[in-house]
Amino acid sequence: MRCYAESMRGESTGSESLFAARLLDQAGALYNFARYLCRDPAQAEDLVQDAFTRALDAQATFVVGSNVRAWLFRILRNAFLDAKRRERKNPLIQLEDSDDQPAPSDLWLRGDIEIDRLRRLVARDIEAALSRLSDDGRSVILLDLEGFTETEIASVMDTAVGTVKSRLARARATLRQELQEYAK
Amino acid sequence: MNDCQAAREQLLDAMRGRLAERQRAHFAAHLEGCSECRKLFEREQALEHALEQRPRFALPDRLRQKLAAQVAGAGAGEGAATRVGASARRKRFGRWAAVIVPSLAAALLAVMLVRGVGAPSQPLIDEAINDHLRVLYAERPIEVESGGIHQVKPWFAGKLDFAPVLDFSGDEEFPLQGGAIALFVDRKAATFVFKHRLHVASLFVFRSQGLNWPTRTDRAIGKLSGLSAAERGYNVLLWQDRDLGYALVSDMDPKALARLAQKLTER
Repeated sequence: MRCYAESMRGESTGSESLFAARLLDQAGALYNFARYLCRDPAQAEDLVQDAFTRALDAQATFVVGSNVRAWLFRILRNAFLDAKRRERKNPLIQLEDSDDQPAPSDLWLRGDIEIDRLRRLVARDIEAALSRLSDDGRSVILLDLEGFTETEIASVMDTAVGTVKSRLARARATLRQELQEYAK
Repeated sequence: MNDCQAAREQLLDAMRGRLAERQRAHFAAHLEGCSECRKLFEREQALEHALEQRPRFALPDRLRQKLAAQVAGAGAGEGAATRVGASARRKRFGRWAAVIVPSLAAALLAVMLVRGVGAPSQPLIDEAINDHLRVLYAERPIEVESGGIHQVKPWFAGKLDFAPVLDFSGDEEFPLQGGAIALFVDRKAATFVFKHRLHVASLFVFRSQGLNWPTRTDRAIGKLSGLSAAERGYNVLLWQDRDLGYALVSDMDPKALARLAQKLTER
């Protein structure tokens, strides 16, 4: 397996343009993810620019043939966590999620009426419910919706696949509970 | 692990189309006979439907321009170091070259990347092949079985922010198998799956705006111009029609694939 720097050796700047094009292809999806993480347009813009800077700095270590999308999302999420740590001036900050938290009860949704209510929710309700999730919960839901597999999400979030599964199940259950309020 | 427990652990995988064929059949059979698991599956589908209504935040133009300048600047910076070093060794160019050339290169690359002009087609070709592999390996299997294009196309309504333009409903040579939603680069795509003998062809239809679409074309596809590529044992055809992009991928013979493309572009 060759890293990007090795693959570049002796090649023209066309490959640099290719890498740049790959970054820009993902800019829209990264910005959307950043907006949900930061919940603020200006902060999201800063975060995407920070992620691009980091990606360009780390270009030489990118392994050719590996998943550039997952790599970029991971960089962006790490930049987000770093910014949060700086904000709280606490380098040992604990993430909001704890894997031993029980999943909220979702018995309310088992009836057809509740399912119908859920189908009638509008975009702003969904956004509000997503914003009330923890950072990890929101991340795992959005990465799943982005089409990442659980293995890829584990790579982005630097955790085990089993943890992704449990976080995803818990976040979806929490989301259903949050949406209960909007669906009434 | 009992059947209910196994089925409940597979709810998301089933919804995402990530179950192997045998698992999928077993899962469907279980749901057929278990109302509780069926209800749970419907609940997950309802949540999925709700989540599809979430807002998508578009990349602001000013940020796109900043990012393009950022990557162009980085590339030009590296290039500048190389070029300036070479210049010093060769003593061929004057001082202006060290200043002007990187600036011009940065500006040119920024313009190219912002406008998508002259950008390489490789990412699109890679994406098309990878998405086709997901279809083949049932990571993204057919979500609506085909009874013809008039059954498949309406299925996309409400699932995409555009209506896929396609009139070919399949024929004896290329029967339409069905459709699915896929992710193409950073956007949703309508996926149409055709067969040709034992070969599978995937057609991805997506909004082309904002993609670094190749300006070079090397073949006619019906009345349109397109680009062909052969990589990893797959043949790929890319073309644009108005604001939609089309990527057709298969391991079938290039001539057969060209015939299918011809039929797909006939109106």
